[in-house]
Amino acid sequence: MDLGLKGKVALVTGAGSQIGFGKQIALLLAKEGCDAVAVTDIIDDVNLTAEDIKKLGKKSIAVKGDITNPTDVAALIKKVVDEFKKIDILCNVAGGIASRTPYDKAKPEDWDKDIRLNLYSIMLTCQAVLPYMREQKSGAIVNIGSGSTRMYGHGAGNTYAIAKSGVDTFTKQFAFNEAKNGIRCNCVAPGPAPTNFIPGPDKQGIIDMLAKTIPMGRGATQSDIANATVFFASEMSSYITGAVLHVSGGSVLD
Amino acid sequence: MDLGLKGKVALVTGAGSQVGFGKAIALLLAKEGCDAVAVTDINLEDAKKTAEEIKKLGSKSIALGADIAKKAEVEAMVNQVIDAYKKIDILCNVAGAILQKDFTPIDEQKTELWQKQMDLNLFGTMYVTRAVVPHMRKQKHGAIVNIGSGSSSQFSFGVQVYAISKYAIDLFTKELAFQEGKHGIRCNCISPGPAPTNFGAVLREGAPPPPKEAYDKMHEEMMKAFPLGRMGTPADIANITIIMASEATNYITGQVIQVSGGNVM
Repeated sequence: MDLGLKGKVALVTGAGSQIGFGKQIALLLAKEGCDAVAVTDIIDDVNLTAEDIKKLGKKSIAVKGDITNPTDVAALIKKVVDEFKKIDILCNVAGGIASRTPYDKAKPEDWDKDIRLNLYSIMLTCQAVLPYMREQKSGAIVNIGSGSTRMYGHGAGNTYAIAKSGVDTFTKQFAFNEAKNGIRCNCVAPGPAPTNFIPGPDKQGIIDMLAKTIPMGRGATQSDIANATVFFASEMSSYITGAVLHVSGGSVLD
Repeated sequence: MDLGLKGKVALVTGAGSQVGFGKAIALLLAKEGCDAVAVTDINLEDAKKTAEEIKKLGSKSIALGADIAKKAEVEAMVNQVIDAYKKIDILCNVAGAILQKDFTPIDEQKTELWQKQMDLNLFGTMYVTRAVVPHMRKQKHGAIVNIGSGSSSQFSFGVQVYAISKYAIDLFTKELAFQEGKHGIRCNCISPGPAPTNFGAVLREGAPPPPKEAYDKMHEEMMKAFPLGRMGTPADIANITIIMASEATNYITGQVIQVSGGNVM
């Protein structure tokens, strides 16, 4: 299927981890025809992702920065637009479990960390790309949400789940308001996958243990998430906006 | 994106209308690489037209007539597909309709209308799915895509019974996904908003059709309330349906996806 990505410029946040969703999404965008894919992360490895994109014959720049810092985000968007003249696609992948303190013991500072990393960051990048997307009257934003917004009892990550619920609602509010400007916004909500979200060396082992409770009997892969994300970023979904799609093998059905 | 559809056999119900979602879905399945696309409709002659176009794309096809609300017809139809192609990898449950607009209050609505609407949209989908699932289980693999409706998440007068039948399809999708996941069978639902298919004609049934200009103007006004400012097209629905039927989404199951330009969120 030709996804109509030829000539597009994309920006993927959280694309530093070499085993994460961000890198896989960035590579698939390049492979499926984007002209340029800019990548950003707080870690140096984001350079490796840009190198791999270039190996696919596409343009790329790696910008190191903190997605929760408004100055960094402004500088990031400026660099991408200076380099590639526009941004057609924004994939908000950066995020993480910042505090593992359950709500009955959490201090406001603990909540701050998760809300900043997972929610404010998306507000900042969306705000920063809006003027460019509005001007060209088109744009596609895909936010990475989380299956944790609909799964309960994982006390340690509950602030993360609450922040990600904010991402779901932000997606819809943004989609509704910006549709008239030709800008779409959707959310892909992954189930557990063997990325750096899973602590320790035996990531797949932990995923396989969790898989016993998943209807499809396995955990998510980076490709599962990348396929859905790139589809939503593409022209093939030009009438879909405000959707939250769970990619979790049937773990989330409500 | 290679959707991994090469060698697959698909069955699309409600593929007779030449302006409908079913035909657009069947043709795209063929174009994207399915080996064979069987099409069925209550109107066999229309289904034949769709099958001819599929063959022109280089895929195999058979057209079968069946009223999905009739269990025996459905079973015979599915058996014919299996006889012809030995398996069914993909089932797209597109057949369905709004049988009548009914503005009467709940205590005056005719039981017959409820019965007929459920027979077609809910029982029909259930008969087809039940006949296909055992074949998918045998091969430990299958993708089912149901066509739902934005009306199941919205409220408007006149189509409540239809909306209720489609709401049941949402839940049927999730139940099926939950139960059959362990057999490698996925099931998802695509919920379209209004589109220029024959649904419009059905909605007008019983009332004198307005002049085309008036109808177009009504739609234009209606679309102003839609966030993306336009009506859906059969291509919008076909694209996402094929993605959900394909290997690109083989970890997505039990999901209801609204394709309505932001009208339903």
